[in-house]
Amino acid sequence: MTAYHELVGADRVHGSLYGDPGVFAEEMRQIFTRGWVFVGHESEVAEPGQWVTRRIGREPMILVRDRSGGLNVLANRCSHRGTALCWEHRGRDTSFQCTYHAWNFGLDGALRAVPYPAGFEKDHAELGLDRARQVESYRGFVFANLDGSAGPLSGHLGVGGTDMIDRLCDLSPSGSIALGPNWLGHAVGSNWKMWPESDNDGYHLNWVHASMVSSAPDTYYQETVLGGETGNQSLAVDWGDGHVELDFRPSYRRELAWLGASRDKVPGYCTALEQARGVQAAGRLLWDGPPHGLIFPNLFLGELNIAIIEPVAPDRMVHWHTAVQFEGVDESFNRRLLRQSEAAMGPAAFIVPDDAVTAERMQLAMSGVGVDDAEAEVRRGWVDMSRGLGREERRDDGRRAALISDETTNRGFWRQYRTVMAR
Amino acid sequence: MSGEVAPPLGEAEQREIEAFVFREARLADTSQYGEWEALVTDDMHYWVPAGPAVGDPAAGLSYINDNRARLATRIRQLQTGKRHAQTPASPMCRAVTNVEAHRAEGGAGSDGAGDEYVVTATQVVYELAVQSTARLQLWPGRVTYRLRRVDGVLRMAAKTVELVTASEPQPNLTFLL
Ligand code: FES
Ligand SMILES: [Fe+2]
Repeated sequence: MTAYHELVGADRVHGSLYGDPGVFAEEMRQIFTRGWVFVGHESEVAEPGQWVTRRIGREPMILVRDRSGGLNVLANRCSHRGTALCWEHRGRDTSFQCTYHAWNFGLDGALRAVPYPAGFEKDHAELGLDRARQVESYRGFVFANLDGSAGPLSGHLGVGGTDMIDRLCDLSPSGSIALGPNWLGHAVGSNWKMWPESDNDGYHLNWVHASMVSSAPDTYYQETVLGGETGNQSLAVDWGDGHVELDFRPSYRRELAWLGASRDKVPGYCTALEQARGVQAAGRLLWDGPPHGLIFPNLFLGELNIAIIEPVAPDRMVHWHTAVQFEGVDESFNRRLLRQSEAAMGPAAFIVPDDAVTAERMQLAMSGVGVDDAEAEVRRGWVDMSRGLGREERRDDGRRAALISDETTNRGFWRQYRTVMAR
Repeated sequence: MSGEVAPPLGEAEQREIEAFVFREARLADTSQYGEWEALVTDDMHYWVPAGPAVGDPAAGLSYINDNRARLATRIRQLQTGKRHAQTPASPMCRAVTNVEAHRAEGGAGSDGAGDEYVVTATQVVYELAVQSTARLQLWPGRVTYRLRRVDGVLRMAAKTVELVTASEPQPNLTFLL
């Protein structure tokens, strides 16, 4: 077992953790098999028989709603000889039938029928599909834990995960969000961990996104993340348990700054929210907007976007995203969210491709660093993550917070990484 | 075209359209953003869907779904010199073949103003991602252009690229496809 307690320090991380195949394999077990992982949203499988394919770590899975309305996260792998049951991204069926020898499985994963049954002595009950042993959802966000050892979801989400999901869902007049009609995948030649980092890094925006800032002048970034080291009040937050956030709320100077709009542009939405929550609570929500943070290990709540961080190989990952859609608002409002998502996220957008090329450059630069270099006579390959360590504050609500440009968020991710990898 | 067959394109018209398409391809290949932008109309729509180009582009998420204003932003961003994902610009060359041109429905049917054409072609872009991975990336797809004659010269009012790989994750796509 790799010495994670040595390779992850309070203020530095060893570069081998981004590329070593053994580390990657251990992550798939320690983080993605033993822990809670985000798999999808209930709105994607609203009706019985609707399914979507996902990966938990590298394991191909099917999220499906069964006839009684239950959510199942099943291995996408026939229990006979291992053929994939679904090869499209989504669909709707009354059962899953394998194309090899036509074994038929219920939406709950139970083996229902096999052709020529006389030759089998095993009980069908032993031959259901492998499944995630725990599946729970919180306000529509579906999480799974493959091996069943992770305890209840509420313990994993903790204060921070719960708070961030609540703040997003509360913005929807119905109290539930839906997802955009499709996911887009962004294939990046980097390790997956560059993304919990960069999605929640408040230090890079002036440089990585300089071209976006100068070509699409927009006061949002000026107010929330730019403006010098101490010039703005946004916070880098470590909620604990690996959940981290860039909290822009202290910087907002007006309602709906997060939407780039004002009340007169989206009157239908504002009225619907006031009717649902009351004028005062709605007013607060319209100021505060959605969270920008990570729910460990793979769910990025990117304000009005949802992203899944999918590991593929030590040096490859996919950043999947879709737009948040609200319920109980007019279609033009949700279309505005789709257009904003197209501008921000994905392989051709104005923002994330510059993060992707940066992540790829990190991967290249660290590709020659091995685990042994950490403690070799001439030490090599450490990366610094110390910014703002001395000015972090513990707040009354348990959050550890520092300036937006401090690396509190990155340290928060890695602290949890170290805990779960070394367990 | 309900019954009425549009008059076929003349030889010169066909050549003019092909010359436009090849020029557009060359300007995109060589990242001559300003020259490329000069080819488009004020109502240009540039669309790279995440699947077949059917239905209303506004109803879903596309890789690229630029109206004229957003396309202008895209080009401004490339021209800052700080668009890291295209700094330096990817070396590219594209083969554009199978060019078929038709007069668009509602076109005037003569060489007069208002003529519009729908042009389809097959395109394969070979792109080297020199900004980071230095991988050779292939971008095969079917292109549909809508060309319009404005003040006597052809302009591009729409370009749609249906990537063969559209349903799967894409690497950075920040050059002009
Ligand atoms: S492998 Fe699925 S039925 Fe044989
Ligand atoms: Fe970024």
